[in-house]
Amino acid sequence: MENILLKDDVAGLEAYFACGGYKPLKKALGLTPAEVIDEVKKSNLRGRGGAGFPAGLKWSFIPKDAQGPRYLVCNADEGEPGTFKDRELMRKNPHALIEGMAIAGYAIGAAHGYIYIRGEFAEEAELLEHAVAAARAKGFIGRNILGSGFDFELFIHRGAGAYICGEETALLESLEGYKGQPRLKPPFPAIKGLFGSPTVMNNVETLAAVPAIIDKGGDWYASIGTGKSAGTKLFCVSGPVNKPGVYELPLGTPLRDLLEKNCGGLKPGKKLKAVIPGGSSTPVLTAGEALAVKLDYESLAAAGSMLGSGAVIVIDESQCMVGLLRVLARFYHHESCGQCTPCREGCGWIEKILNRFEEGRAEMKDIDMLSSVADGMMGRTICPLADAMAMPVLSFVKKFRAEFEAHARGETCARRAGPKA
Amino acid sequence: MPTITIDGKSIEVEKGTTLLAAAQKLGIYIPRYCYHPKLSISGNCRMCLVEVEKAPKLLTACSTEAAEGMVVRTTSDKVKAARRDVLEYLLINHPLDCPICDQAGECGLQDYYMDYSLARSRFSMADKVRREKRRPIGPNLVLDNERCILCTRCVRFCSEVTKTSELEVMNRGDHSYIDLKEGKALDNGYSLNIADICPVGAFTSRDFRFKQRVWFLKRTKTVCLGCATGCLVEAHHNENVIYRLVPDPNPETNTWLCDHGRLTYKALQAGDRLKKGVIKNGLIELEPALREAATRIDEARGAVAVMGSPWLSIEDNAALARLARDSVKTGDYCFDFNFEQGIKDGILINKDQAPNTAGVRPVKAAYGGISMGELAGRIASGKIKLLLTEARAAALLKDALKDSGTRVVVFAANRGEIPAGAYATLPYAAYFETPGTFINYQGLRRRTTPPVAAPEGVKPLWDVVNKLASYSGASLGLDSGDDALKGISF
Amino acid sequence: MAFKLSEEFKAKADKICARYPRRDAALIPLLLELQKETGYVAEEGMDALAAFLGLPYSRVKAVVTFYTMFNREPSGKYHLQVCRNISCHMAGAEGLLARLSSKLGIAEGETTKDGLFTLSAVECLGACGSAPVMQVNEKYFENLTGEKLDALLDDLRHNRVMPR
Repeated sequence: MENILLKDDVAGLEAYFACGGYKPLKKALGLTPAEVIDEVKKSNLRGRGGAGFPAGLKWSFIPKDAQGPRYLVCNADEGEPGTFKDRELMRKNPHALIEGMAIAGYAIGAAHGYIYIRGEFAEEAELLEHAVAAARAKGFIGRNILGSGFDFELFIHRGAGAYICGEETALLESLEGYKGQPRLKPPFPAIKGLFGSPTVMNNVETLAAVPAIIDKGGDWYASIGTGKSAGTKLFCVSGPVNKPGVYELPLGTPLRDLLEKNCGGLKPGKKLKAVIPGGSSTPVLTAGEALAVKLDYESLAAAGSMLGSGAVIVIDESQCMVGLLRVLARFYHHESCGQCTPCREGCGWIEKILNRFEEGRAEMKDIDMLSSVADGMMGRTICPLADAMAMPVLSFVKKFRAEFEAHARGETCARRAGPKA
Repeated sequence: MPTITIDGKSIEVEKGTTLLAAAQKLGIYIPRYCYHPKLSISGNCRMCLVEVEKAPKLLTACSTEAAEGMVVRTTSDKVKAARRDVLEYLLINHPLDCPICDQAGECGLQDYYMDYSLARSRFSMADKVRREKRRPIGPNLVLDNERCILCTRCVRFCSEVTKTSELEVMNRGDHSYIDLKEGKALDNGYSLNIADICPVGAFTSRDFRFKQRVWFLKRTKTVCLGCATGCLVEAHHNENVIYRLVPDPNPETNTWLCDHGRLTYKALQAGDRLKKGVIKNGLIELEPALREAATRIDEARGAVAVMGSPWLSIEDNAALARLARDSVKTGDYCFDFNFEQGIKDGILINKDQAPNTAGVRPVKAAYGGISMGELAGRIASGKIKLLLTEARAAALLKDALKDSGTRVVVFAANRGEIPAGAYATLPYAAYFETPGTFINYQGLRRRTTPPVAAPEGVKPLWDVVNKLASYSGASLGLDSGDDALKGISF
Repeated sequence: MAFKLSEEFKAKADKICARYPRRDAALIPLLLELQKETGYVAEEGMDALAAFLGLPYSRVKAVVTFYTMFNREPSGKYHLQVCRNISCHMAGAEGLLARLSSKLGIAEGETTKDGLFTLSAVECLGACGSAPVMQVNEKYFENLTGEKLDALLDDLRHNRVMPR
């Protein structure tokens, strides 16, 4: 099928306009906000940032009688290891995002929107600045958009290096000029979000899908995919495949097809060992599990993992699972905001235990200790970063226990035995 | 008004009540580090996790509001496991330097470890994150970042109570630490409260550190007389020595205590605490000093003035009034103090530095007397040969006394209070040494309870006054402070 | 010498502040701007910015130390930031780091004596499809190999590429 999001040669406003861009905005402005929300509800569009919450429902949480300003925030703090789809989308199709935000802003009654983009994406931030300026010059952003009386200002806001800011409320804190430490919930952002006002936050990919939904209708979008998992999704494939990259596919596509048809299979001589299907924090699948699973919310949940951000990390037999887990632990240790005790202390502890495995100082009992430390973190913190550390630990240990045991026995592992990468 | 059940006990609470507060009402204690009733909810320590039926995860009792029909469990296996885990996480990077930590005996880590853990350490000592050990951080506090559990009570105190925002958690993750601007002192007038609210040995009081093991301390509830606010305090003392004052939180007046008030007890132990009388800068025994003062008063009879003091209790002021009326038999007495009152910093410190301005009023109502202006005028015009008052009150008449030739006899607890040129000074028992009644700026009656005894032979002021009268041949009949209060209504 | 925000900076800063209902929300963008001017965020810069935004210094310091992109001291002209997260790790990031370290004669976190290069290992840069990846100042260099890296160092040394 034809891509909805990832298109070539639509980055410029003229080109975007030429293929029907900003017509959906005009159409939306002719509907009532409630009608726009209904259309999005009908589409079954779910959050593409990782949690998969229904977008239309989220928009409808803004209290109808709320006085004062409301805000729309785009989460472009793409940081989950393995994920690089939003960067690609912002580079290739920035106006779909801008248009999607204008429509979403109209639907929820927000006069201001912010795109919070991770600080490292300096080039993309600049690209967006230019794109917003171009849209503003044509009257798609700003006061009285297309003569509708609807005002919508859109600003780009760069972060400064903190994975945790991808968490909704940490992002809000950061956007307000504080450390990115997640807030206690309730209150939820729909009630008390940015600057204390009702706020909707969506991922780049979610918002970029909105113009097509308004253009072709929610039913059309809902008909793509598996029903419960509607529409297309961007999958970012990294690891030793022949053609890594971002692919837009209908939800429900078999992972095997993505790997074999889109990515051209594994590189010569590489054999599949495992796949992390939805970004580094989702539970790892063995090769067998991975090749049997479909890429949609329900199938991946049934397989004991998650669709997450759609970041498919391919791991081949030459990799050592213990070493990879240590890399992830180092990351989560580095990124824990330090607020909640279990996460602040647990992430570092796990990394230190894994260092022992890597350095040949581990004992058999350390394997269960890894799981027990991770268990103690699960579900006990303000935000899911602790879970994001615990889930890979628990799944790596469960599914690849033999490798941990080999390390504890001081045996040589796959990576050390294999040729240097 | 939701009704909830906690550990099988049912309770109806006001809307907005947290589970922690509801449990407290039922007498169920939920452990906590970051929660403090007078600070914003932070929810970061995760010690107060409880099980709520139908909730997929454990919830923080400090932040979760009671909702109709909630069934809460605070001692289930899940909750116990969570507490044990949180304690283990808190302790892995803790230095475990308990033998040399002065928080011992009032340490949240030690206490909860006994109550909720008793687990063996599974963490390798070599892996501990090292942080900066003790360093003085301002005039009153020592900070040991290695012991800190990052509950952020101190940070919230400085941003929400003093609004000075000196402290912050710097860095992130397990490298987080508490700090302020380099070279700046943590000195906001309330800094010692931080030592109180710090649940571990990270912030300790420079004044109190290593002076006394806390389990030897006895506690006496009394009143701070540092200003007209009249904060309720607890004096911690042992063997007739006060070691510290801490606030005794109450809804009327104070949750906290200012640094100035907190250190007022030190005057008692200062080198210049008067244990003898002073005549013209020379120390003499109490008896001869009293006799000398009485002699001079008798000598000046007809030109003696007596002034009360807002630094003295109602009892002592009343005794002075009786002395003037019934022994010296003068109409030149003054109980007229009208200092402006009210909190001046939005927290606790009063515009009125005297503790009993309001308490002198009923004495004036009962005994009358002349105004401060009149007294000053009579002194300045040379009509007063001798003035008897309390040392700090005497300072109020400094200008009038200058060049007036008036002999000044004062009561003072410390030598430093004595006004220049005073003829005689009589020591008296201060208000950590004797009971007394005060009225604070809110009109609330405050009675002090002495944690310690006065130096040998040093008596309450009303008693000294009683004796002075008897030397002059009058009997005031003051056998107790209460005797002095007769006829005064407040 | 007292540090002062330039008039140019202040004008720019006022414009950025105007994007938010509260001026202090501009703290992070302004710190990035400040860093762009001076290469790092100095103590005096934090003081000046705190005063400019009417914030306590401690808040500025906390933010500066929380986020990884703020340099607390001057770094080399080219800040080489090698991603070492999972996809780059599998694609040989460790080898690249070792190669850079030995070619430049510095360890992670250090700056070459000529002030040209600072070497850092960083976490996921969000370009995993083109691993291994390195960011030089604000520019990404992707699909790196040992040879490409050598050529890039050479280009940087001879000003043939000028990342911002």
